[in-house]
Amino acid sequence: MASRLLWASRAASYLRISVSHRGFASVVKDLKYAESHEWVKVDGNTATVGITDHAQDHLGDVVFVELPEVGATVSQGSGFGAVESVKATSDVYSPVSGNVIEVNEELNNSPGLVNSSPYEKGWIMKVEVKDASELDTLKNSDDYAKFCDEEDAKH
Amino acid sequence: MRFQRSLEVWKLGKINYLEALKLQEKLVCDRKAHKIPDTLLSLQHPPTYTLGKRRTDHNLLIPVPELEKIGAELHYTQRGGDITYHGPHQAILYPIISLREIGLGARKYVEKLELTMIDMASQYGVKACAGKKCETGVWVGDRKIGAIGVRISSGITSHGLAFNIDPDLDYFKHIVPCGIADKEVTSLRRETGNIGFKAFENSGPVVIMLGEVI
Repeated sequence: MASRLLWASRAASYLRISVSHRGFASVVKDLKYAESHEWVKVDGNTATVGITDHAQDHLGDVVFVELPEVGATVSQGSGFGAVESVKATSDVYSPVSGNVIEVNEELNNSPGLVNSSPYEKGWIMKVEVKDASELDTLKNSDDYAKFCDEEDAKH
Repeated sequence: MRFQRSLEVWKLGKINYLEALKLQEKLVCDRKAHKIPDTLLSLQHPPTYTLGKRRTDHNLLIPVPELEKIGAELHYTQRGGDITYHGPHQAILYPIISLREIGLGARKYVEKLELTMIDMASQYGVKACAGKKCETGVWVGDRKIGAIGVRISSGITSHGLAFNIDPDLDYFKHIVPCGIADKEVTSLRRETGNIGFKAFENSGPVVIMLGEVI
């Protein structure tokens, strides 16, 4: 078990993922995080949004992702879609405001990508962001990891 | 860290599906605004078929105009899960609970709903278990005795579980229950031969079980 953790830590640091000491839910540096467990990666005016490893782990196997419409307007903190797993639909909330310019159609055929690759292939939507200062209200990877630990300790 | 939690229970008797849905929507808003504590609705519905968010209409095997003839309604919902039937003598619980406040995720919450029904069944000598992967719910062998369909919005739950005490199982013949084609549906009555709904008129036991498990 110890050697597996060591290997995982080495792999994590190579991939610039920090592994929480608590368990196995990963966070990625350079992304921003909402308390409702969505992540956002900003590149110029385009923000890519998905749900975190912590979120997918707590949801269970995802069987359906309700994607927003391309062209729809999203606001920070408002619902933009839903994810279904284990007979539960969970609303997801946009960490940024703007217009949806692309959605990950792959998720229609392979919703499990949200579980297997929450930060890469499991991305949900891309948004053209109007106000970059909104990101200041979000957490960085360390603060988010701490937040997850605190939330899990409640139970 | 221990802190006191309260659960307010509303026993609603037999209530129409849409009425119950509107009530849940209001309670979810109130719970989100911290106006009410965690709340549990305990009720039955008149004969009603419901579909989940994915709208799997193909699992309704009877034409919609025929529903009236069998005295049933059909409703589309935002909950997870496939098609199901609700009717008299099926014990329904709709917990309106803040999962965020207790740090619980969907998967663990659903597992606890399953455990509640398993414990309930065992009180009457019926050995039930949770479903395998992709077959969420509670089973006695190959026969489904309890169904789950949940919605989580801003971390607050609505919809919940349906446990078959003694509903008219013939109504299940008009659907592919939960989208699982080759499995039967059963009830506490069928599994024990004698437990009827009278035993559940006071739904105290189920409620207490749920309170302990969550």
